[in-house]
Amino acid sequence: MIYILEDAINGVLMGSIYGLTALGLTLIFGVLKVINFAHGSLLMVGMYAAYWSIILTGMHPYVALIIVAPVMYLFGYYLQDIVIKPIFKAQKDVREPITVIIVTTGVWYILDNLTLLIFGPAYRNIQDNPLKGKMLEIGEMFISVPKLWGFVTAVITAAAVYWFLQKTRMGRAIRATSLDREAASLMGINQFKVYNVAFGIGTATAGIAAVTLVPFNNIFPSVGVLFDIKGFIIVVLGGLGSIGGAILGGIIIGLIESIAPQFMTATWTEAIVYGLFLVVLFVKPSGLFGVKYDW
Amino acid sequence: MTRQNINRFALIIVGVVVFGLPLVLRSPTYLHILILLYFYAYLTSSWNLVGGFAGVLPLGHSAFIGIGAYASTILSLQYGISPWIGMIVGGILATIVGILIGFPTFKMRGAYFALATIAFGEGIRVMVENIDNLGPLKINGPRGLQIPPTNIGFANYMFAGKEPYYYIILVMLVGVLALTYFISRSKLGYYLNAGGEEPEAAMSLGVNVAQAKLIAMAMSSFLTALAGTFYAQFTLYIHPKSVMSLDLSFEIAFIALIGGRGSIAGPVLGALLLRPVSDFSRIYFGATLPGLHLIIFGTVLILVMIFQPRGLQEPLTRAYNRLLDKIFGGTGQKEITHEYS
Amino acid sequence: MNILEIKNLVKDFGGLRAVDTLSLSIEEGQILGLIGPNGAGKSTAFNCIAGVYAPTGGEIYFSGEKINQIKPWNLCKKGLARTFQIVKPFRSKSVLYNVMVGSFVTTDKTAAAEEKALNVLKLLQFEDKKDERAGNLTIAELKRLEIARALATEPKLLLFDEVMAGLRPAEVDEMVQIIQNLRDQGITIFIIEHIMRAIMALSDRIVVIHFGKKIAEGSPQEVASDDNVIKAYLGDEYVIS
Repeated sequence: MIYILEDAINGVLMGSIYGLTALGLTLIFGVLKVINFAHGSLLMVGMYAAYWSIILTGMHPYVALIIVAPVMYLFGYYLQDIVIKPIFKAQKDVREPITVIIVTTGVWYILDNLTLLIFGPAYRNIQDNPLKGKMLEIGEMFISVPKLWGFVTAVITAAAVYWFLQKTRMGRAIRATSLDREAASLMGINQFKVYNVAFGIGTATAGIAAVTLVPFNNIFPSVGVLFDIKGFIIVVLGGLGSIGGAILGGIIIGLIESIAPQFMTATWTEAIVYGLFLVVLFVKPSGLFGVKYDW
Repeated sequence: MTRQNINRFALIIVGVVVFGLPLVLRSPTYLHILILLYFYAYLTSSWNLVGGFAGVLPLGHSAFIGIGAYASTILSLQYGISPWIGMIVGGILATIVGILIGFPTFKMRGAYFALATIAFGEGIRVMVENIDNLGPLKINGPRGLQIPPTNIGFANYMFAGKEPYYYIILVMLVGVLALTYFISRSKLGYYLNAGGEEPEAAMSLGVNVAQAKLIAMAMSSFLTALAGTFYAQFTLYIHPKSVMSLDLSFEIAFIALIGGRGSIAGPVLGALLLRPVSDFSRIYFGATLPGLHLIIFGTVLILVMIFQPRGLQEPLTRAYNRLLDKIFGGTGQKEITHEYS
Repeated sequence: MNILEIKNLVKDFGGLRAVDTLSLSIEEGQILGLIGPNGAGKSTAFNCIAGVYAPTGGEIYFSGEKINQIKPWNLCKKGLARTFQIVKPFRSKSVLYNVMVGSFVTTDKTAAAEEKALNVLKLLQFEDKKDERAGNLTIAELKRLEIARALATEPKLLLFDEVMAGLRPAEVDEMVQIIQNLRDQGITIFIIEHIMRAIMALSDRIVVIHFGKKIAEGSPQEVASDDNVIKAYLGDEYVIS
C-alpha cells in the first residue's frame, strides 16, 4: 500500500513536469489554433541549451533558467515570426490552417535532425549535478528530489503565466485573440504580434520544463518526440488553452504512468494512455476545463 | 493535335518505358529502388482518396499497411493460405477498421481529426507490439514475423528475382491511379471535393458528406492494406516499427502534400521527387551526415507550404503546358479542365 | 395543398428564444417574403426549415410530410433547396463544377449532370462564365452561382436567404427578373430580403417577424401600412433602393 502511495506521489510530481511541458503547447494551440508538432523539438532544444550552459559553467541546474528561458523565448518568437507567420498571412480566411501543422512538422524534422547532425546520437546526462538521484525520505517513502523541484517550478510557472494572461495588457490581448481573432484585430490588437508573443512564451515554458528535466533525464536528439505526443494528449485532456487543465492533465498522465505498471506491463500503460486520449476526444473534446470553441 | 491527344500520347510513351524498363535495366539494386518508389507512390495515391479528395489530414494510415501485412503473413505462415487470398482478407479487415475509425473522427475539426488518427495509428501499433499471441494467432510482438523464402511461385506470391515484384507494384500503382482518375470524374469525386471544401453548402445540395468520406476511407484503407501484403512478400520480414510506424504515416501524408493532394498526379510527383532525395542522401551521406534526408525533407515541406500550398503539381503542370505550347503551338491553357483541378 | 406549413415553430439557443411560436404557410407556386429587423430570427427560421438546426418545438411540413428531423441532404432530395446569406461557393472549382454538384441529385452520371448544369446556366444567362474559377467571381456573380447551384437540384421549394445583399440597383432588378422567371417555371419561393423594392415587387404575400414572433402578415400593401410594422421599423433599418 505504501508503495502505491509512493508511486502516486512521484507520479504526481512527474506529471506536473509533463504538465509544464504541455503548458506552452496549450497556449499555442489555444491562441493560434494550431497544433505545433515542433513543440517536442523545442523542448529538446531547451534541454540541450540547459545541458551546455550547465556543463560549460558548472552552475547549479536551476541557475540555467536565467539563460534558457529568455533564449527560448526569443527562439520561439522569431521562429513564429519568420517561418509560421507567412503561412498565416497566406491563409487568412481559414480558421485553423492545416498547412501550419505541416510546417511545424517540417520544423520538427529539421530541428531534430540538425541536432543529430551537430551533436550526434549519444545519450547525454549531467553526471554530477547536485540534484541527481537525490531522494527525500518521508517515513518509508522515497520521493524524488529533482522531481519535487520540478513540481514546484511547474506550479510557479503555471501561476505566473496565468497571472500574465489575466492581469497584463498583452495577456488580455492574447486571450482576446484566442477567442476571436478578427474581433480582436478590429480592436487594434496586432494579431501577429500576439502570435509571436504567445509562441515566445510557449517556447520559454518549454525551456523551463527542459531545465527541470535535465537533472534526471537523458538528453538526446529525439528526446522531444515522447513529450510531443504526451503533450498533445495532455492538452486535449486538460482542455485547449487552459493553463490549469494542462497541469492537471499532466498529473493524470503522470499518475497513470506510475501506478498502472504495478498491474500491467509498461507498454500496455502506453496503450491505456492512447485509449484515454481517444475517449476524451470522442466524449468531451473540449477536455476537462476547456471552453467549447465554435470551431 | 489537340492537347488531349498529346497528353494521351505522352502517357503511352511513359507506359511503354516504365513497363519495358526491367528488360533493359538489369541491375537488381536499381530495380529495388524503383520498386520502393512505386510502393510509396502507390501508398500516397491511396492516401490521397481520403487526405486529398475528402479534405482531411489522416496521419495514421500506416496502421492499414500493418493490418494488411500481418493478415496475409499470419494466414500464410500458420494456415498455409495463399498470400493473395490473405491480401484480400487483410484488405477487408482494414476496410472495417477504417470505417470504424472514420465514424467518430470525421465529425471532428481538422486539428482534432489529425490527432485522433495519430492516436489510432499509434494505439494499434502499441497493441501489436505488446501481443505475442492473440488466441491461436502468432503475432510475436516487437520481434515481428519472418517469411521463409521457400515455395517460390506465383500462387505463393514469392519470386526469386525482382522483376515480378516490379510488375506487381507497377500494376497496383496504375490501378490506383486509374481508380483515382475515374472517381475524380464521378459523382463520388464531385461530392468528396464539395464536402471537403464547403461541407455546409454541399449538404444543402444533397451531399451526404459523412457518407462520402466513409466511402473514400473504406477504399483508401482497403488499397493501403494491399500494399502491406506486397511489402511483406517483398521484404520477407515485418515488425511493428517497419509497417506501422508514425514516421511512415507522416511520410505518406507529406509526400502527397508536397506533390499536391487532391490531384491525381500530385502524390506520384511527390514520391518521384522526394524518394530519390531520401535514398540518395541515405546512401551517400548516411554515415557522415545522418538524418540529412529528413532535414532536406523538412525544409522542402516548409518551403512548399509557404510558396505552393496546393503542391508542386500546380507549377509543374503549368510549366508542362507552357512547354507543349512552345513545341506544338496553340493555347493549352484554355484546356485545363475544370473537372478535377 | 400548402407546399410548406410551419406550426408554432420554436428555436431556443440556451436562454435565448430566437424563434417564438412562428406559424405560416406557403401555397404552391407562390412567392412568400419574410422580412424583419436584423436579428429578428429570419435566418434561424430558414435554418430550421432547411434541417441545419433541430427545432426546439413546433412542426414543419413539406408537401404534407413532417420534416423536423430530416437532414439537409435528404431534404434536398425531396425538393427543398436553399441559398446561403454568406455565399459558400466551391472556390477552387469552376462555375460549371459548382453547379454540377447540385445536378448530381437527380442523376448518377457525370455526362447527364454536366448537361443539366449547362441548362441551368443557360437559364440564368450565366453560361459564358462556366469555366471561370468560382473564387474569381464578383459578388453579383457569386449570388447568381448560389441560385444556379440550388436550382440544379430541381427543387419544388427554394429558400433564398438575402440573395440581393451587396448588389447594385441594376443587379437587383436583374435578380428580381430571374426569381420571377423561376416562379413562372412552377417553383415556389420563400425569400428573406432587406431590399424593400425587391421584396415588394416579388412577393405575393409577406410575413413580418420581430424578436422571433410574427407581427404582421398579408399582401405587400397591407404590410407596408401595418402599424406594428412601421413601429418596428422606425429608424430606417432597411436599405431603400
